[in-house]
Amino acid sequence: MGEEKDLLSTLLLELRRGTLTISVLSQMKEPKYGYALVQILEEKGVAIDPNTLYPLLRRLESQGLLESKWETSSAKPRKYYQRTEYGTQIYEQLKAYWQNLSAGMERLLREEEA
Amino acid sequence: MTPNEKDYMDRYIYQVIRRLPKAQRNEVRMELEELISDMYADKGSVEEVLTQLGDPAEFAKQYQNDQQYLIGPEYFETYLWFVKVVLICAAVPILIVSFVNAFSQMAAITSQNAAPAIIRAIAEGLAAGIPNGLLSCVSAFGVVTLIFAIMERKKVQLEMKKAEKWSVEKLSEEKRVVELRWTPKFLEPVPDKKAIISRGDSVVSIVFIVIFSVLLIFAPHFFSAIFTEGETVTTVPIFNLDQWGTILPIFVLSLFIGLVDEILRLVVGVYCKLVMISNIVCGTIQIVLSAIVLKVLPIWNPNFTADIQLALGDNAESAAKFLTYWNAEMVSNGLLFFIVAITLLEIGTTIYKTLRYGASSKK
Repeated sequence: MGEEKDLLSTLLLELRRGTLTISVLSQMKEPKYGYALVQILEEKGVAIDPNTLYPLLRRLESQGLLESKWETSSAKPRKYYQRTEYGTQIYEQLKAYWQNLSAGMERLLREEEA
Repeated sequence: MTPNEKDYMDRYIYQVIRRLPKAQRNEVRMELEELISDMYADKGSVEEVLTQLGDPAEFAKQYQNDQQYLIGPEYFETYLWFVKVVLICAAVPILIVSFVNAFSQMAAITSQNAAPAIIRAIAEGLAAGIPNGLLSCVSAFGVVTLIFAIMERKKVQLEMKKAEKWSVEKLSEEKRVVELRWTPKFLEPVPDKKAIISRGDSVVSIVFIVIFSVLLIFAPHFFSAIFTEGETVTTVPIFNLDQWGTILPIFVLSLFIGLVDEILRLVVGVYCKLVMISNIVCGTIQIVLSAIVLKVLPIWNPNFTADIQLALGDNAESAAKFLTYWNAEMVSNGLLFFIVAITLLEIGTTIYKTLRYGASSKK
């Protein structure tokens, strides 16, 4: 039983990994700070753990897809992330690919049910 | 946030950032302070927040996207095989030598004391063999791991240099990247069957190198002439054990170089320039070191003849016959000739196979 559960969670993790990048990029047209993003994604039904999201944001920044700025004017310093121009380009391509893929997946899975 | 809760938060953050590279720590600390206080404002309890964030070690892992390893997947399989062979070669001879020692020092067996004497000898053999065997296994493991780790680093560096070159080209093309596409032309020709270096080819030299090293380090007295006369056993060591401290390192260095060469061969797996050069360099060094050990250092037991005569006593006649053949100078020359011949033969074979069948440019 344990093994089966492990396998399932590994497979789910692999399945989610790529979709998280698109989900995050989709929300980053306007600058946002980390926890606000967590809440927005959760509201829209794509929950992501903060301990996955924060490292992911850093990674996307180091890849040049996002840029960040520390907002220190308020009492609490916050790091705001926003899509770069390059990030937007990549996001548009990912989006097109995703739409194609999910249409294809949809067909495949419906075929299975029939 | 109460001071107590603040303390919990600091502890948690510390546990995450201490696992990260120094350059990232400060920034990540600030990010996490922001995150935890935001979550705290939302949930109202630091304990709940930290529970949701989970094990700080796992959190830190998410930040470590670079793969960090000593020996990578490409070499790992060869490495495992190597470790197995080397550990067996390091442990077995030590145990055997320890038992041989214990039994050779055993008092004469009579029908009354047979069982206790044998048990005692076994116990002594184990007592001497297990610690020495463990020590030699650990050393052998360390040596092999070190060699593989160095190769892994070198390879990684090569790949990074390649990547840099590409990115420079990319930059010069004004960000619009012309991808260096893989085409079938990149495929290296399948190496000739005769150019492939198999484990079978190497296993003999590896086993020899490791067993010989282990015996030289842990049981140099094993190389002795042994005489039994009634109940007393006399051993006359062949090597000059008084000077062993200076002789051994050079001996072992020479064997170590041989091992490096063997590992490189197996890792590359095919005769090519790299293997050929390594073989020539290592072979030459080994010849030089052998010459030093055999011709310069006082390797032989200077009292060998005298001790043997002493040990044999009555059987002096047969001894005299044997001793006329023992001439340290001649043995040294003979061995050196033998080593040079074998090494040259190996280098010759490598050069021949490389030029005849080898892929001339592996990289």
